[in-house]
Amino acid sequence: MSNKLIDFVNITKSYGTQTVLDDLNLYIRENEFLTLLGPSGCGKTTTLRILGGFENPDSGHVIFEGKDITNLPPNKRQLNTVFQKYALFTHMTIAENIAFGLKIRNKSKQYIYDKIKYALKLVNLDGFENRMPDSLSGGQQQRIAIARAIVNEPKVLLLDEPLGALDLKMRQDMQYELIRLKNELGITFIYVTHDQEEALTMSDTIVVMNQGYIQQIGTPEKIYNEPENAFVADFIGESNILPGLMLEDKLVKILGVPFPCVDEGFGRNKPVDVVIRPEDIDLLKPGEGSIDGVVTHLIFKGVHYEMEVMANNYEWLVHSTDMFPVGTEVSIHVDPFDIQIMNKPESEDEEAVNIEE
Amino acid sequence: MIRKSLQKIYLALIFILLYAPIVTLMVLSFNNSKTRAKWGGFTLKWYRQLFQNEQIMSALYTTLIISFFAAGIATVIGTAAAIAIQGMKQKWRTLYMGLTNIPMMNAEIVMGISLMLLFIALRMTLGFGTILIAHITFNIPYVILSVSPKLKQTSRHTFEAAMDLGASPLQAFFKVVFPDIMPGVLSGFMLAFTMSLDDFVITHFTKGPGIDTLSTKIYTEVRKGIKPEIYALSTILFVSVLVLLLLINYAPEEKEDGKTKRKKVKRPSKVKMVVVRRVIPAVLCLVVFGGGIYYATRNQMMNGDKVIVYNWGEYIDPEVITIFEEETGIDVIYEEFETNEILYPKVSSGAIAYDLVCPSDYMIQRMLENGLLAEIDFENVPNVKYIGQQYMEQSKQFDPENKYSVPYCWGTVGILYNKTMVEEPVDSWGILWDEKYKDSILMQDSVRDAFAVALRYLGYSLNSADLDELNEAMELLIRQKPLVQAYVIDQVRDKMIGNEAALGVIYSGEAIYTQWENPDLEYVIPKEGTNIWIDAWVIPKNAEHKENAEAFLDFLCRPDIALKNFEYITYSTPNTAAREMIEDEQLRNSKVAFPDLDKLPEMETFRYLGTEADGVYGELWNKVKSK
Repeated sequence: MSNKLIDFVNITKSYGTQTVLDDLNLYIRENEFLTLLGPSGCGKTTTLRILGGFENPDSGHVIFEGKDITNLPPNKRQLNTVFQKYALFTHMTIAENIAFGLKIRNKSKQYIYDKIKYALKLVNLDGFENRMPDSLSGGQQQRIAIARAIVNEPKVLLLDEPLGALDLKMRQDMQYELIRLKNELGITFIYVTHDQEEALTMSDTIVVMNQGYIQQIGTPEKIYNEPENAFVADFIGESNILPGLMLEDKLVKILGVPFPCVDEGFGRNKPVDVVIRPEDIDLLKPGEGSIDGVVTHLIFKGVHYEMEVMANNYEWLVHSTDMFPVGTEVSIHVDPFDIQIMNKPESEDEEAVNIEE
Repeated sequence: MIRKSLQKIYLALIFILLYAPIVTLMVLSFNNSKTRAKWGGFTLKWYRQLFQNEQIMSALYTTLIISFFAAGIATVIGTAAAIAIQGMKQKWRTLYMGLTNIPMMNAEIVMGISLMLLFIALRMTLGFGTILIAHITFNIPYVILSVSPKLKQTSRHTFEAAMDLGASPLQAFFKVVFPDIMPGVLSGFMLAFTMSLDDFVITHFTKGPGIDTLSTKIYTEVRKGIKPEIYALSTILFVSVLVLLLLINYAPEEKEDGKTKRKKVKRPSKVKMVVVRRVIPAVLCLVVFGGGIYYATRNQMMNGDKVIVYNWGEYIDPEVITIFEEETGIDVIYEEFETNEILYPKVSSGAIAYDLVCPSDYMIQRMLENGLLAEIDFENVPNVKYIGQQYMEQSKQFDPENKYSVPYCWGTVGILYNKTMVEEPVDSWGILWDEKYKDSILMQDSVRDAFAVALRYLGYSLNSADLDELNEAMELLIRQKPLVQAYVIDQVRDKMIGNEAALGVIYSGEAIYTQWENPDLEYVIPKEGTNIWIDAWVIPKNAEHKENAEAFLDFLCRPDIALKNFEYITYSTPNTAAREMIEDEQLRNSKVAFPDLDKLPEMETFRYLGTEADGVYGELWNKVKSK
């Protein structure tokens, strides 16, 4: 991927006594699908609103194509936003909604007409020109909101939890739709969500945020497989996060039992956090694995079974396509490359928090 | 079943209660008889007269223009305020909403008086401008109240979305936010408009001479009874509002209909939209402004020479003013009051420098005692010679040297009776205590008039301040109470015309009129004597156009003018030359209109008794009424 398109430099923002963003630095490359991911209150929406021009940072700069746009009003910025609640103009028809930005820019009638046709086709809503927004379903309204934004040919499209109000099926459909749009338009998407599945599915880059700090930046695979700290591990997917002691390179002691792993360079006898994804745990017959335990809970989840196994005083979360009834004695086994070692958080802010969704 | 029909009956009752008054008024507006009591056949003459009555029409247009501008300006200010308040933090928002609501909760009378005081303190001339400012002030909270909820519904995101799409904040507001809150703004405007339209109290305190709105105009007519033209006007107003409401509700609007799924929303046809949204309001505006300009030019804005006259409602022939203006070039700024008690503070506060005022006897005495009156230069009023000497004599009761006042109208208080119901000769107040006429006696619902009857009957002065005498009179009135059908004011006239009562205490001026309508009625002045009242012109000390006032006074004393006024007002004129010119011999010699003062029993004029005695009268009258 190519150059930096947007650069956030030392952005700080607080409301009253509450600091929402603390010295945030982040750059976004051209043509990227970047997702800001985090629990509510983590500062992701504020970051987007600062980029959109709806909020001014207390300090720091926003650079767009090399120019400082920190104090530019929203109507002067070459980017468009798709709002969480669609924010369609209810007193206008769909066509009028889409034409809004073009009319403001005094485009010709023919141009506007063509653009409306094109945009409706793009979002698969041909022939909706004369409908009123109220008569559309949530998903359709969302697509109109996107159409309204993209006819202005922005360099960047900002999407603020656009699928939050849709039901599950619709949300999944829209995810593919968005990826297709992104590819057809070839512009930068900046996407805000608290839904890790959305982030993993669509993004080129994910920025995990918490309490005003960036926790990790990386591709979906990297974020998922190699979380840098317990917060990221906990927030992305489900995981068993355990305290561990790095005995030496490639050997970690968890719950008093040494496990071979692949990580190096942590030093000797160093306390660390260990992440083990539930689907990476194999359940064997008692005595065959590293730790023995008993199945205490069993839930059928569709694709797999979710089980809890009590072993060495820890409740392990296990996903498996095989079923072990409650009370079954089992043994836990983890392959070395499925064990992810992380440094203990250095500050309180980086501490994993309970996430309410 | 029974419950169903009961529900229906209940509903019907509610609607009858709600609409019976309006229907009564509408029916009466087509009544060919001038009284409320009789149906005289269908007529449109009141409507014709309404449009020919310049005073009412100009009051109507003043009202419409004030309401329109007050509502318009208040809507702009109120909407802006609502937006600002909406943008505030919760704590401040609550505070400001509370603050803006106070003028609405505040008693209107407090608003009115405080606005008047403020205008006087700022040395603003009371008039059109001050009414407008006052109306804007009390309208703003209503606009804020109706816009705020709409603003709350409107998501901030639509505004941001518009900005995001390239609109400047102003464009974003007018293209996106404003259409959203439009219903609130419109209903705020309508609310303000109607509040303005029928406001009386605040207008009353902030208006100046020469300007009247409908409500103040109608109220000044109370003394002489409300004219049927006003019924016609009220009917027109009601129907207009009804039509307006229907239009608003009929106005094409896409409403989500819960039952229809994914219906195809049809946009209303362009023609219909244009008619409802553009043509009708435009026509309404045109009518209001066209008419306003028409009447404004006819009323002529003042240019220099003028005289400010303050008179009772319906107490002059409007033509008289026109003739005077044409003859002298002096503009008459004419204002009306409804009771002496309202006149007094207006003159004494000095808020408006009236040039010529027409109070009643006892009020003149009070104004004189308080040094509010200027001596009239009779050199400038040669026509005063046409005023009968006996009336000047009578005036000495309140103006001992005849220096400050010139009588304008006068009359007596007596008994009006129906010859078909009362066979014996009536010559004493005593008949009002006759058991035979139980429930067919009408008494005046006013302290002094009621006590005058009792005091005279007992042989005391009707200006008595003696506690024993007053107590005796009170006992007498309490004794009479079971016999009295009703204590009323101007309904005596209508009830007597309609044969609803046999005997009534009435003013002589009204008596003449009732006799025209019902020949069975006879008016007598009881032998124990009664009240003779005189309304006379005086010039307040702070008058700024004293010479013009004297010129107008002289003009009013001219026999032909006095005659014109007499024919219009029908109250007895003290102008003997004018009386000579009355063509109708019967009227000229009428013992009702022109009783021979010398031959009458002792006649007394009400005197101002001071606040203490006023209090005693009030207290005793309350006892009578509450027994």
